[in-house]
Amino acid sequence: MADAIQGTTAPVNVSSAWQLTKYGLIGLLFFILLLAALGWITSNSAASTRSSQAVDFATNTVTLALSTEPPQLDSTRATDMVSGMLLGHTMEGLLRYGPNNELIPGMAESWDIHENGGTFHLRQDALWSNGSPVTAHDFVFAWKTALDPDTGSQYAFILFPIKNARGISEGEMDPETLGTKAIDDFTLEVELEQPTAYFLKLLAFPTYYPINESFYLSTDGGYGSEAENLIYNGPFKIVKWVHDASLRLEKNEVYWNRDATKLDAIDYAYILSDANATLNLFATNKIALAGLNSENLERALKNRWRIKQHNDGSVFFLEINHRPDRITANYNLRRALQLVHNPSELVYKVLKLPGNLPGESIFPVWLNGVDGLFRDEYPGPKYIVNEEKAREHLAMALEELGVDELPPLVLLAGDNPVSNKQSEYYQRLWKEKLGIEVKIDKQIFKLRLEKMTTGEFDIVAAGWGPDYHDVMTFGDLFASWNLNNRGRYANEEVDRHVAIAQSSSDPVERMEAMDRVQQLLHDDVAILIQYERGSVYVSDDRVKGVTRRAVGLDPDYTRAYIARDSEG
Amino acid sequence: MSDLSFKPISLAADVEERSRPSLSYWQDAWIRLRANKRAFASLFVIIGMLVFACAGPLVWHIDPDAQDLDQTSKPPWGDRNALVQSYEPWAGVTSAEPQGNNLSPESLEVVGDATTTFVRLVWDPVPNSNGYRIYRQIVEPRVGDPLGLPIGDTKGATSVSFEDRLDIKPKSYWYSVVAVNEQGEEFPEAATLKVDVAFSTTIANAVERGYIEDENSVAIGDTIKVPLHPLGTDYLGRDMLSRLMEGARISLFIGIVAPFLFVIAGVIYGSFAGFIGGNFDHVLMRFADFVIALPFLLFMILFKLLFGIGPGESGILPMLVALVVLSWPGAARLVRGEILQIREEGYVEASRLLGTKTPRLILRHMIPNTMGVVLVTFTFAVPSAIFTEAFLSFIGMGVTAPTASWGSMCNDGIKTMETTPHELIFPALFISITVLAFNFLGDGLRDALDARMRYGE
Repeated sequence: MADAIQGTTAPVNVSSAWQLTKYGLIGLLFFILLLAALGWITSNSAASTRSSQAVDFATNTVTLALSTEPPQLDSTRATDMVSGMLLGHTMEGLLRYGPNNELIPGMAESWDIHENGGTFHLRQDALWSNGSPVTAHDFVFAWKTALDPDTGSQYAFILFPIKNARGISEGEMDPETLGTKAIDDFTLEVELEQPTAYFLKLLAFPTYYPINESFYLSTDGGYGSEAENLIYNGPFKIVKWVHDASLRLEKNEVYWNRDATKLDAIDYAYILSDANATLNLFATNKIALAGLNSENLERALKNRWRIKQHNDGSVFFLEINHRPDRITANYNLRRALQLVHNPSELVYKVLKLPGNLPGESIFPVWLNGVDGLFRDEYPGPKYIVNEEKAREHLAMALEELGVDELPPLVLLAGDNPVSNKQSEYYQRLWKEKLGIEVKIDKQIFKLRLEKMTTGEFDIVAAGWGPDYHDVMTFGDLFASWNLNNRGRYANEEVDRHVAIAQSSSDPVERMEAMDRVQQLLHDDVAILIQYERGSVYVSDDRVKGVTRRAVGLDPDYTRAYIARDSEG
Repeated sequence: MSDLSFKPISLAADVEERSRPSLSYWQDAWIRLRANKRAFASLFVIIGMLVFACAGPLVWHIDPDAQDLDQTSKPPWGDRNALVQSYEPWAGVTSAEPQGNNLSPESLEVVGDATTTFVRLVWDPVPNSNGYRIYRQIVEPRVGDPLGLPIGDTKGATSVSFEDRLDIKPKSYWYSVVAVNEQGEEFPEAATLKVDVAFSTTIANAVERGYIEDENSVAIGDTIKVPLHPLGTDYLGRDMLSRLMEGARISLFIGIVAPFLFVIAGVIYGSFAGFIGGNFDHVLMRFADFVIALPFLLFMILFKLLFGIGPGESGILPMLVALVVLSWPGAARLVRGEILQIREEGYVEASRLLGTKTPRLILRHMIPNTMGVVLVTFTFAVPSAIFTEAFLSFIGMGVTAPTASWGSMCNDGIKTMETTPHELIFPALFISITVLAFNFLGDGLRDALDARMRYGE
């Protein structure tokens, strides 16, 4: 003790600092050893479990991962991409998409189409997986079910081109008046509300899939909730569905075109939302396809994996709330936001993910126009950054609103790394350039959708994926009657042009109307387009014949096969 | 044996006198704390951390929220010399119809400077092609290797240029161009070019960030020095050092204020329970047990609702309240135990017999004697509060953007752990050091304040 008392000056401090450093170093060394040991263990275990492989030659099976569990697989109620993907593998509509994204006959062998409708001749060899034939009645039943207000289908609107469909869905008309009927078991007649140039393209969409009525009724309301509560008319059938864990598809042996299906099974052995975990599965040869993000891209590059790019067809935008009680209803404020909006900065410097294209128009670049691509024919307006003008408009907005300072804007956004990054970017951008405070309201998808519907936001980061291959899948999004127009944007001129494009069968007239729409949406600052989403992914080279699409079934394994190369 | 052997000792004052200055309890504790090297060093670390949090921004003026998108995820040792560029949209190059029968896009080259603002490539056209696909790789592609990241496509055999602007870092890239046919299939041959990219900034950005006075003070192609980021920048180009300072204020505020408040609450509660005793004590302590059993996270959410903290507003206040409301029983129990013991001591009895009133008895005799325990409880409560804050901010319940806290910075950094580890390591290091320092100090204080270890007794 006495020694310690005498030695209480500087030297002790130095040596105690040394002691601390020593502890720190020992700790660090231990940590590094631990990491090395763990790394060694994982690499060993990866090698030892290689038997459950991404590609299994013996059983002709491909193993994949799903990003989320499908809520249910009732085609009349499906809304999400995972459900659409699984339904696309197990079901078939009148038409389906072929390997080159063209529409090919599905359940319908041939069809006669005219301005106000059409007749579809169903193939007689098409069977449900329980052995009963697929008939025209199955289509009529499915469509009526989807339109039944009790079903609560969010996609009922996609059936609206059919005569009286809207009235039935709103509960104002008798379901029996629906403009479709089965002439006999294999002839289906469809009557349209008005000429609809893109009607055939709708027929490959899940809501248009058939449902076997007697089976549907036998499930007693549980249709689509379990593998046992489903029957299939597509290339695959679900044989096992363990909720939140895995899902297994096997070849449907009674599918009419069974010879085109090469794989015996697709095993969705994992349901995982974490991108890094998914990539680890790919790295250890457990799954055949994994998406990349800006964080784990470098790992894929260093490993020299073959990286592919895919445009998933969707457009992302900031939707502005136009409800009259919101300050964002003020045009000058919206214009000020538009004048500092720089999509290429967002895409190249913030999101940093290859495949994304800076957005300019609600119509993505891949949509067809009159002869070529729509955006080549009608490029549409561009965003031009002009901070000075932005501040002028902001000053006008403040004057019109009668305030000195704006209350904070509420930016409703998702709660995931990509959303957080862009939310923080916009928060700083608007603060720095315009002095506008922004509150970020992070919500999971379900709650975000709820708030979007009730209008509890000023600006919301939203996106829209195409349902069918026509400009209209984006074109009617901001029509005042569209329920997906969450900002309640209402512009009579937009409505008028959408109506023209819906009913006209002259391609030039339709495309010109759509061009007006993109111009009007820009001039009135209805929304701020951010980007067209693309993605990069790594996939097992031994799996061939996989089709990636912007519209329709994606990724499509219905014609995939396993190549027995030298490595295998 | 002589007489001398039995000489009486003198009473002279040459007896060795041993004495020491009278030390109070606190003086003695201080001396023993200083003797504990580990604890004493920790004390300096803590003081340093407080200075870093409070005085740091006076020295380091960079706005913690300012985003410099030209320098995202820059490591601490990143290049500070920026080439000045200006960005004008590039129309690209269209060649004449291709001649000959070459299969790979030959003479791939860079137009202008290859900088982090853009890299522009041109090449000779390939006959019978329907466009080109451009790849970028960060390691040299060996023969037969995939070419890297597909960064873009061009349409038509004559569109023979590409502008890359996607998150370019100042390092070497291998660009490859391969022709594709009508079906979108790639030709077997590719042209590859190694490009060394220089760090650059645009004039507009340099003016806006205040790197240069005005547009005319530099010309395109000049080199300027951009401000130093000693600890690098994060994924939005924000200065890590100033964000860590901001985070330190949040972490230390929660870490010190919350324990301070709940320890005081615990002392008052515990001393009443302990002093009055009996059934009163019984009821009070059962209530404390009840509070211990309440789930913290649930209450944190409830307080958030109660305070009307909307989305996008900071959750620091409800966090503080939840910590105080739920964490006091620990301190209360300890103090009650001490008081129960002290109550029976002779000096308390004596004081009571002399007519001292209860409040004075508690204030003068009881509480000062529990101070040691209280102080130790406090120092141990600090790291756990800091950790709670870090954890809650990590899961997104604490601070909201753009405010930074160590926990939220860790959450941001963990996503890029493999590519830019500095974004995770620094905040994690600050949390670890602070928590460790408070624990060491608590350890030292416990030893120093233990009355049984007092020097010379």
